[in-house]
Amino acid sequence: MLVFYSDTDCDITPKECAEYGIKMISMPYTVGDQVIYPYIDFQEFDSHAFYEMLRAGTMPTTSAMSEEAYIQYFEPEFQAGNDILYVHFSSGTSNTFTIMQQALDKLKVKYPERKFYHIDTLGITALSYNIVLECAEQYKAGKTAEEIVEWAKVEVPKFPMYFFADDLKFFRRSGRVSGLAATMGGLIGIRPIIYLNDEGKMVSIGKEKGRAKAIARLIQYVEELGEDVKAHRVLIGHTDCPDIAAEAERMLKEKFGQDLNVITNVVNPTIGSHCGPNAIGICFHAKHR
Amino acid sequence: MEKTIELDSLTFAAMLRQGAVALGKEKTTVNDLNVFPIPDGDTGDNMYMTLKAGCKALENHLGTLSELAAAASSGMLLGARGNSGVILSRIFAGLAKGLQGVIVADTKAFADAMASAVAEAYKSVPVPVEGTIITVIREGAAGADTSGDLNRYFETLLEAMQISLDHTPELLQVLKDAGVVDSGGAGLLCIFRGMNDALCGRISNEELVPASAPEVPTVELDKFNENSTLEFGYCTEFLLRLMRSKVDLETFDEQVIIDYLNQVGESVVAFREGSIVKVHVHTFTPGEILNYVQQYGEFLTIKIENMSLQHHQSVNQNNASFKLPPQKYGVVTVASGEGLINAFKELGAEEVIAGGQTMNPSTQDFLEAFKRINAQHILVFPNNKNIKMAADQAAELYDKADIRVMPSTTIGEGYYGVGSLDRSLENVEEVVESVNEIMQSVCTGMVSTAIRDAEGEVSVHTGDFVGYCGKQLLSDSPSRTEAAKELCCKLGADQRDVMLVFYGKDVPADEAQQLVAELTATYKNLEIMLNNGAQPVYDYIFVLC
Repeated sequence: MLVFYSDTDCDITPKECAEYGIKMISMPYTVGDQVIYPYIDFQEFDSHAFYEMLRAGTMPTTSAMSEEAYIQYFEPEFQAGNDILYVHFSSGTSNTFTIMQQALDKLKVKYPERKFYHIDTLGITALSYNIVLECAEQYKAGKTAEEIVEWAKVEVPKFPMYFFADDLKFFRRSGRVSGLAATMGGLIGIRPIIYLNDEGKMVSIGKEKGRAKAIARLIQYVEELGEDVKAHRVLIGHTDCPDIAAEAERMLKEKFGQDLNVITNVVNPTIGSHCGPNAIGICFHAKHR
Repeated sequence: MEKTIELDSLTFAAMLRQGAVALGKEKTTVNDLNVFPIPDGDTGDNMYMTLKAGCKALENHLGTLSELAAAASSGMLLGARGNSGVILSRIFAGLAKGLQGVIVADTKAFADAMASAVAEAYKSVPVPVEGTIITVIREGAAGADTSGDLNRYFETLLEAMQISLDHTPELLQVLKDAGVVDSGGAGLLCIFRGMNDALCGRISNEELVPASAPEVPTVELDKFNENSTLEFGYCTEFLLRLMRSKVDLETFDEQVIIDYLNQVGESVVAFREGSIVKVHVHTFTPGEILNYVQQYGEFLTIKIENMSLQHHQSVNQNNASFKLPPQKYGVVTVASGEGLINAFKELGAEEVIAGGQTMNPSTQDFLEAFKRINAQHILVFPNNKNIKMAADQAAELYDKADIRVMPSTTIGEGYYGVGSLDRSLENVEEVVESVNEIMQSVCTGMVSTAIRDAEGEVSVHTGDFVGYCGKQLLSDSPSRTEAAKELCCKLGADQRDVMLVFYGKDVPADEAQQLVAELTATYKNLEIMLNNGAQPVYDYIFVLC
């Protein structure tokens, strides 16, 4: 049997797990000296409380998982004779996947017959979520791992995400965005627009003055790059700024019609630790990233 | 016959001060010697700052020799920094102990006090290492001639200390390997030379210089990154107040703490003064030490530094002949109002000179600000036409950096200029150009109170609130909020993307918030950012971009 795994950095929650019969790997974040595993240490993510804490000055950190943790997730599946398909967040943004590979190498020796497939969404949060849902639907419909992996090879590069954040200190601290100007632009309302490139890395590609122009720029990307936009979900991910998300949704539906399938999600706390509050991104189906 | 010198309280204070002056001049040389136990490169600074804290405690302090020595000792206890600084503070604590009850010290009294200083120095380190500062003080005191007057005593003391210092490489292989003498010992000799100068009446009235390392050292955090290994551990220093609720102060033996520290750390220096235990230790697990000692008391101060950063810093300093390399860009700007000044600092301005329309800073003010910045290019944002000249003049007089006076005539232009400064750019011309570009796109409007009637685009009445931009009077109303709203309208807020609002010290916060709520409702596409500028004169400053 094939077991479908995804992780919380892809914004999946117990709800999607139940709906599609998929399993979750919980990616930890640390507040003070407390390591927190989403949906293990809490059942429901109180996003407002979490991002309020960031607004008040707390800077959580994130860390890679241990080899043992991966073995604990995967070994029981192999023991039971199952194969695994893991659709995960961008390996370019964390070294946790190097550790995972070490765990898999060990398991390979022990269970040479078992197969491990993985799909790198080359994204995080809403982008990954969009792809996980596409894959999970195919999984539920009985597609094989090979078929889903083949689909992903063509389709993953066709899901871009463009986003911006109010406060760049979170991005700057984690050093995961390249091309960010070393300015305090956030304090004067200048926002870099960032996207995830074909390697799943975050790159700044321009800047906009004021929030309204920044949102308009995101919508402009959907219009210019979009391909079969209406045949797919459009994901809006935000870090506790539902008003901005609602405005983006309104503008999207104005351009593409009210029947556009827009899903608005709050970014999971682990990725949110790198974005800070008041960040918003849009993921859609496109010609290219 | 030579006049016999009396060592009274005034002489002692002068000696201490002259000791600091002497070390101040030589502290870079002393820093340079520091190759043990890790290349901290800050022994001179540490000893200097420790001694300076002792001198500071004596400022405006009158009293007997005994009292002054005690005051200097407690000043140094709190000011002590680094391994050698702590030992230095113990030497002076021992001296103070030995001088207890002494009004005027003769050779014998001072020699006795030196013996006490030696004993205290040895007690401060659990495992005394010979070939260090403690050797120099011990051999110096042993070699001094106590049969003559104080001049003779000091003369022979300095000789003996010099011989002892020169001998340190023979006692300590690391010194020999590095080809240097002990830095702490060198610093001590320097201090005693200065003290002797004062004793002989050679007193200079120099100001004590600041330590060459900034008081709060700026460390390059990237020197210890995700892939680094903790090589040197943490330099951990704290003052622990022993608590009656936790220990019996009378019978408690601090040796239990010292024994523990020796098990878990290195370079231990620990001693007790009354109910305070001062600790310096190098450890890989500072948290454990803090937890352990807390069973005996509570912390007064704690300092923990990753020594890899210290290490790398000193390596950097080595390359630049013991000066921190200058940063590429520095910013000097002018603002008044606590909130505005802080806002500029938050944007990254190194120096914010207090001033503005009603208080123009002088050329001297700019020059002093330049001196405090160690940068290749300093960008100056005067934010006012009347201030630009002083800045220009200062720029001409200053030759230690490339000064660029930017044409910012308003707070808004300055704020956007500083905020958009991209310090990662290599080319200064490119920086100046991009800053100029954004400054030109900014418009600043202000609301203040009219002090007389005037005619402009609107009629202004005395006592009304008036909104203006440059020399243009744009709004007038008995209501501050109305004057502000009208001004925003005239400034074309509907065509803009971002507006910063700084409210002045006379405006209640809720009034400003209410105004912003109304403006937000009016200008849907305008992002409004409210800040408490706390500036005088201008109730509101609007910056539109």
